[in-house]
Amino acid sequence: MAVQETASQLSMALKVQEYPTLKVPYETLNKRFRAAQKNIDREASHVTMVVAELEKTLSSFPAVDSVVSLLDGVVEKLSALKRKAAESIQAEDESAKLCKRRIEHLKEHSGDQPASVNLWKKKRMDRMMVEHLLRCGYYNTAVKLAKQSGIESCLEFSLRIQEFIELIRQNKRMDAVRHARKHFSQAEGGQLDEVRQVMGMLAFPSDTHISPYKDLLDPARWKMLIQQFRYDNYRLHQLGNNSVFTITLQAGLSAIKTPQCYKEDGTSKNPDCPVCSKSLNKLAQPLPMAHCANSRLVCKISGEVMNENNPPMMLPNGYVYGYNSLLSIRQDDKVVCPRTKEVFNFSQAEKVYIM
Amino acid sequence: MEQCLCVERELEKVLHRFVTYGHQSEERLDELLRSVCDIRAQLVAFGVQDADLSVLSQTMAQCCKNIKETVQMLASRHKDIHGSVSKVGKAIDRNFDAEISAVVAETVWDTPERQKYLSETIVEHLYRQGMLSVAEDLCQESGVVIDMSMKQPFLELNRILEALRMQDLRPALEWAVTNRQRLLDLNSSLEFKLHRLYFISLLSGGIGNQMQALQYARHFQPFASQHQRDIQILMGSLVYLRHGIENSPYRSLLETNQWAEICNIFTRDACALLGLSVESPLSVSFASGCMALPVLMNIKQVIEQRQCSGVWTHKDELPIEIDLGKKCWYHSVFACPILRQQTSESNPPMKLICGHVISRDALNKLTNAGKTGSLLRARLSQVEQTRDIPQTFDAEQRIEGETQTRTAPDRSLSEV
Repeated sequence: MAVQETASQLSMALKVQEYPTLKVPYETLNKRFRAAQKNIDREASHVTMVVAELEKTLSSFPAVDSVVSLLDGVVEKLSALKRKAAESIQAEDESAKLCKRRIEHLKEHSGDQPASVNLWKKKRMDRMMVEHLLRCGYYNTAVKLAKQSGIESCLEFSLRIQEFIELIRQNKRMDAVRHARKHFSQAEGGQLDEVRQVMGMLAFPSDTHISPYKDLLDPARWKMLIQQFRYDNYRLHQLGNNSVFTITLQAGLSAIKTPQCYKEDGTSKNPDCPVCSKSLNKLAQPLPMAHCANSRLVCKISGEVMNENNPPMMLPNGYVYGYNSLLSIRQDDKVVCPRTKEVFNFSQAEKVYIM
Repeated sequence: MEQCLCVERELEKVLHRFVTYGHQSEERLDELLRSVCDIRAQLVAFGVQDADLSVLSQTMAQCCKNIKETVQMLASRHKDIHGSVSKVGKAIDRNFDAEISAVVAETVWDTPERQKYLSETIVEHLYRQGMLSVAEDLCQESGVVIDMSMKQPFLELNRILEALRMQDLRPALEWAVTNRQRLLDLNSSLEFKLHRLYFISLLSGGIGNQMQALQYARHFQPFASQHQRDIQILMGSLVYLRHGIENSPYRSLLETNQWAEICNIFTRDACALLGLSVESPLSVSFASGCMALPVLMNIKQVIEQRQCSGVWTHKDELPIEIDLGKKCWYHSVFACPILRQQTSESNPPMKLICGHVISRDALNKLTNAGKTGSLLRARLSQVEQTRDIPQTFDAEQRIEGETQTRTAPDRSLSEV
């Protein structure tokens, strides 16, 4: 690999690149916590209500039957609370575990096996490409790439739910059913709850006033979803979607870009230089160049660096080559400039000092 | 690493609290359910006898109180976990940088045209990696159209590499034979190496393959002059075929990393033939960005602290040098030793008669400032002690290309 990152450099890159990687699953955890609290509070208040009713009845010499039926009511509400609490905890646990998996994956950047570090680096690039593709709205590509690279994306399911809702809103119910069959058959755990809820929407017209279905169809829910996907799936209809991928790419292109990549006659293009390659050349044009405070000369003939071991020599036509290369192309004490084909005497080459 | 560990610590705490809460709520609720069911059973059993009812009444009243308290407690215990959850968020905020777009010019790629180039680059990269169906999907979703002539080489490259990974040398050999002349022009020994590897794979099949191996050795003939030694070694190994090559002095022939190596050699030669870089330009640029970003973020912070934000205008050059390593020296760069700036078309490198090269701007400064001129002259002459920078210079020549320098123009220095 041309670019060699040390372990500490990888660590530094983590700090600037991985905020979205962790923040997004965290926001899901937060959201699930709030939902769980709401559920528990609600069921708890139901329990309190039936218990209050029982207490009231008891103070007025009731018949056994009515007490028994009230007790049944208490059992029912207690069971509901137990069930709801268990489901909520499971959903919270799931999203906390996703956060943990993300962290564990990030920790793998500092393995001592170069093969595993390389694999991590490759996955890193794939991860950020997936995020970028999601931002652009290229969902199918993103999902497929994620699968092929073995990346776990927490977005896919929520995306599918939202697409389902959109289909209902546009009254494309048959499409919605097909969509559900295709994407929701594998749902389990906390996801199953959400699936049940949105499937109920099929029974109601899209201008329903019945909440929670009304809430789901509310355009404000799109806004909420966009906020939630702030870093992963920020689909703006205007321009401007700076994913970590594009920012990294811009910085990288700038660090490589030199004036030689843009010489008009194209004589200085190097097929190995990324900025000289077709599409990146156009992309890198408006970007700043690399800052070079120290000279480095590379011989056009051999690709070797020109330094005190291979001093730079200037031919009368102004072109500079390494001493070793001139020796190697010398024939009968003459050299032919590879770029202009002019012939000079070997002795005409002058040493230049670039410090 | 420390950043990850920080967040992980808080997460572990949260996970632990969820588990504890889960157990606790289940236990308590089960208890409550049991006692209510108990009471109900008793009630049904005893029928309508007042005395029992009054005892039961007390129990029921107690039970109701219990239920209310427990349920209240469960709701508020869950609320308490919120503190731990938000600590995770705070740990993330503290250890990772939320805003990094300030180090680049944010909107510079925001035109549909540039987005298209970006998608094109990604598609090319995907073809290179052999992820053909993902590339097709992206073409479809982004509307990018890639010429078949551009796709074709990668499709073929990947086909051959796939086969090589399965230790099937035939597609690679076919390709090498078809491109024989061009490979020889490149001084590539790919074809020979492929034959050699095939021969070795026959050898590892044991004594039964002896005839086959001998017959295959005919393929070495065209390479006899260039690879004489190698061929001798290969043929020599036949002696040990009966007793097993792995026990002979030729056991190094059986090393398994040769297969990985042939993939690399093939990739390198094929890319050279096609005029392509061996590595995906997108991979290299991205990796270089991973190194550049932290450096840029640092300098940005320093600039902000010192309140000299005019220093970095995003326009022409990055504010700081980023060391990517020698393998990334794709082009020559000349930086004037005096002004420490890169030279350009408008500020080209100039060679003085003593052989030193400085930028034209530096040269102008030198000739315009008398006193400074002599100090600088002393510095430049450090290698050639006896030569002064002359008062007259040679005539100008037009600059062309990389690392060409002009010889400085005729000028007389009146002050010197």
